Amino acid sequence: MLTIDNLHAGYGCVDVLHGISFSVPKASVVCLIGSNGAGKTTTMRAISGMIKPSRGAVLLDGQDITGFDAYRICRRGLAHSPEGRRIFANLSVTDNLLLGAFPRFTGNRSKGDVQGDLEQAMELFPRLRERRQQLAGTLSGGEQQMLAMARALMLNPGMILLDEPSMGLAPILVEEVFRIIADLRQRGVTMLLVEQFAAAALSVSDYGYVLENGRISVHGPAEQLRDDPAVHAAYLGCGH
Amino acid sequence: MDMLLQILFSGIALGMIYAVIAFGYQLTFATSGTLNFGQGEALAIGALIGLSVVDRIGNYWLTIPVVLLAGAIYGIGVERLGVRPALKAKSEGWIMATIALGIIMKNIAENIWGRDDLKFPSPVSEAPLHLFGASVLPMEIIVIVGALALMLAVELFNRKSIYGKAIAATAADREAAGLMGINTGQVITFSYALSCAAAAFAGILIAPLTLTGASMGAALGLKAFAVAIIGGLTSGLGVIIGGLILGLAETFTGFYLSTGYKDVPGLVLLLLVLAFKPAGLFGKTAIKKV
Repeated sequence: MLTIDNLHAGYGCVDVLHGISFSVPKASVVCLIGSNGAGKTTTMRAISGMIKPSRGAVLLDGQDITGFDAYRICRRGLAHSPEGRRIFANLSVTDNLLLGAFPRFTGNRSKGDVQGDLEQAMELFPRLRERRQQLAGTLSGGEQQMLAMARALMLNPGMILLDEPSMGLAPILVEEVFRIIADLRQRGVTMLLVEQFAAAALSVSDYGYVLENGRISVHGPAEQLRDDPAVHAAYLGCGH
Repeated sequence: MDMLLQILFSGIALGMIYAVIAFGYQLTFATSGTLNFGQGEALAIGALIGLSVVDRIGNYWLTIPVVLLAGAIYGIGVERLGVRPALKAKSEGWIMATIALGIIMKNIAENIWGRDDLKFPSPVSEAPLHLFGASVLPMEIIVIVGALALMLAVELFNRKSIYGKAIAATAADREAAGLMGINTGQVITFSYALSCAAAAFAGILIAPLTLTGASMGAALGLKAFAVAIIGGLTSGLGVIIGGLILGLAETFTGFYLSTGYKDVPGLVLLLLVLAFKPAGLFGKTAIKKV
């Protein structure tokens, strides 16, 4: 589904990623874990077109999308729920969700049943239904995170990138977010997940990669990584 | 009393013209953080093209779509030539570029239509109507209704259609809008087209009340900029209030004091607003959450 080959990317002329390769097979959940500054978010941004890779290739469904603008990558069915949520604060919850489906209105993706999907998203995230007329900026942090995830789902995407869905949330909401990710996994949604809470991320993933200083240090099936002492060290970000 | 009503009407009509041009400033400022300082020239081009078309086909109403189209094309040109390269380079070059394109446009217009002011035939009777005891020009009513209708139509489009929401999304967070599959470059081009089309429309609205010429837009564009600042560059309806304040201040000063001083109150107000409420009377002060 998604294949990353020898990806180099960064900001200005400084590369953060020094050649990483991995793939996310269809209907599976893959997580990237690693300490702050390891390059997790940069990887996500380079995949979705928010930044241009300096070298390497990104393939979506076998097609080369390296260096495409974000809007073109989105129209090919890759939804990105970015770091910091990036919801549209001065628009209503419903408008945010409809914008998630924008390419379906413009004919760049098959329209399907947008209203039905809107209902379904609100079923998955009942808090959003209660607040659908409210401005998104008035939601709590947890609700905003749910809105960002629901908005990504509205694309009817082939694949979703979730960047730090638990960031800044109270522990009870973190649990809720992981419950929803597990639920989406049950439904066969293909996801690439970036998380600080490595243990929780691995528990909802099929496969995991550990990023260290812009390189993949360890990878393997999620259960195997969970029991790996070297990985435990990497979560904590202290090297060993 | 009758005189007062009459001045009131003229002031409102003038204010509405300012509001439409200022509305155009807001449209592009929202999506791109840039303005077309050649809005006045877009207005003059609209009026002059309108005049030529009226001469050909003899029907004022049929010129409206032609003028809107001409304004939109001018806007697309300004965005492509003057604004996009500056946005790419993250420079403030768009300020000089839009002024320069305005001057070029004005010179071209002078070569085509001449330097003299021309008379734009009024589509309606030039005999004043008697409304509540005041004599009001029918064209003034058309100006007020036309200006409000244009702004209302754009606001409805922005609020109700998915494309309007895409504009709002681009205005709020361009990068996140791109992640929604919105081609934000195209949205910015579209906002320029709409902005200049609005100015061109203002041109044919006001032309029958004044004289038409290549330099008719310069003062209007500048004062509308003051209106946009007074009303707030980020507040949709602020420009209507701002336009009314300036339009009324001008006509009242012109009548009761002297036409020589008519620009003073509006510009004093501009200075006061900039000093005490820089986001405009109705603008939201940007609060950045970190």
